[in-house]
Amino acid sequence: PQLAAPQLATSNPTLTTVALDKPFCMFDSSLSPNKSYSVYLYAMMESAVAGSSPVTDHGGKALNSTFQQTSGGRLSPYKAAVFSVPNCASPPDPADVGDVNKVADVLKQHLFRVGDDGTCLYDPNFLDVCNPPLAPDTTYRFKYTLVDNTDGIMKDQTLWSDPIKTRRVKLPMKIDTWPGRRSGGMIVITSILSVFLFLLLSGFLASVFSTVKGLEDSSVETRHVPQTVQHGEPRPQEGSE
Amino acid sequence: MAKDDNSVRIFQGLLILGNVVIGMCGIALTAECIFFVSDPHGLYPLLEAAENDDIYAAAWIGIFVGFALLSLSVLGIIGVIKSNRTLLMVYIILMLITFAFEMASCITAATHRDFLTPNLFLKQMLERYEKQDTDNNNDKLMSEGVTKTWNNLMLQNHCCGVHGPSDWQQYGSAFRSTHSDADYPWPRQCCVLDARESPINLDGCKLGVPGYYNSNGCYDAISGPMNRQAWGVAWFGFAILCWTFLVLLGTMFYWSRIEY
Repeated sequence: PQLAAPQLATSNPTLTTVALDKPFCMFDSSLSPNKSYSVYLYAMMESAVAGSSPVTDHGGKALNSTFQQTSGGRLSPYKAAVFSVPNCASPPDPADVGDVNKVADVLKQHLFRVGDDGTCLYDPNFLDVCNPPLAPDTTYRFKYTLVDNTDGIMKDQTLWSDPIKTRRVKLPMKIDTWPGRRSGGMIVITSILSVFLFLLLSGFLASVFSTVKGLEDSSVETRHVPQTVQHGEPRPQEGSE
Repeated sequence: MAKDDNSVRIFQGLLILGNVVIGMCGIALTAECIFFVSDPHGLYPLLEAAENDDIYAAAWIGIFVGFALLSLSVLGIIGVIKSNRTLLMVYIILMLITFAFEMASCITAATHRDFLTPNLFLKQMLERYEKQDTDNNNDKLMSEGVTKTWNNLMLQNHCCGVHGPSDWQQYGSAFRSTHSDADYPWPRQCCVLDARESPINLDGCKLGVPGYYNSNGCYDAISGPMNRQAWGVAWFGFAILCWTFLVLLGTMFYWSRIEY
């Protein structure tokens, strides 16, 4: 088993799901023409390898271990899916993915999403094979087995896949929002405007001072004039009385 | 004396021209800032929740500064024509105050633009989008604002997340705590939707099949309008202030030369 083609499933694996390519043309050498077969998909955590990882009992019959029985694949492999043998002779065309009507078919025949069903664990009426979400940040390994439908005996199996690890979550609190350096535009605006304001204020003070100084100068000159007028004015008044 | 008269007239003409330009720029500044404050792209809730909405404060100041510039330019024209010392002194003082306010607006807009980084919006989106267990009313209002804004953004711009849908996978979020990863690797709005606003193929969207989900990030749709607003307020205000600086210097010089 391998991860599904990256062109099809771009976000793979996710936090709790892994999309695997279905086993095209892997079991064809073991198929007998008159019998019906199914493919069983087993999943287990990599940490379970230390113990035994059986997918059949002593008689060669495929095991029906569930997610709950194996604690999510921690103790031993569990059966995640049962589906019909993929058609090697006429595989679906990946290019058909673009067509909205055909894409559901293409996806269903081409790949299988482990961890797709979030409700079957809690549904007491669920009788089918339960495929609950996987654990995040955990390494899993997968295996396909070919099982005869009439007697349930396993006829063929693939090797255990390479370890595939689900994603890990980063905390949003840890995101650094510090903007870093100031932009050049901001520095230009601030510095130039500060200089302008300083020049304006100093220009304002300079013009006020020069006006006050001009007033003082002119008042010094005009101080002589009122004195001579004052001496002159009372006399005509006295004269009129 | 005729030559002096001529040069005085020319100087008066220049000052009047300068004030006319200031008046028209004031109208333009008011109009531009009213446009920005009206928030045509609906991005204000994002800034409000990030507590970084000062580029809107700068636009508000710009509205009133524009009005002030218009009325003060009229006052300045009358003062220059009448060569009245009192009028021109009032004009200069009020213009200095308006200059200071507009300077504050420009610097605020330019500085706070620097804070609007992708990480800021990413952190806010992860912490507030579809947040259900809010602490108080304020938190609830802000989270609802962020959720509505992001939904609009994603639907109108056909985008997902800040950098892309991988944001929802790489980081934990308030959304992740209420929506399981198996069913919702990213929000439904990231899927390509049909006319009835349901995904055209849900499995294709969940798997990330190209064509059934939006693979580009929304950061361009956010930063474009914000940049235009911040730079519009900051640089246009800066240009007005450069011109005002020259006119004010000329007016101060004219005022100091008026004979009583």
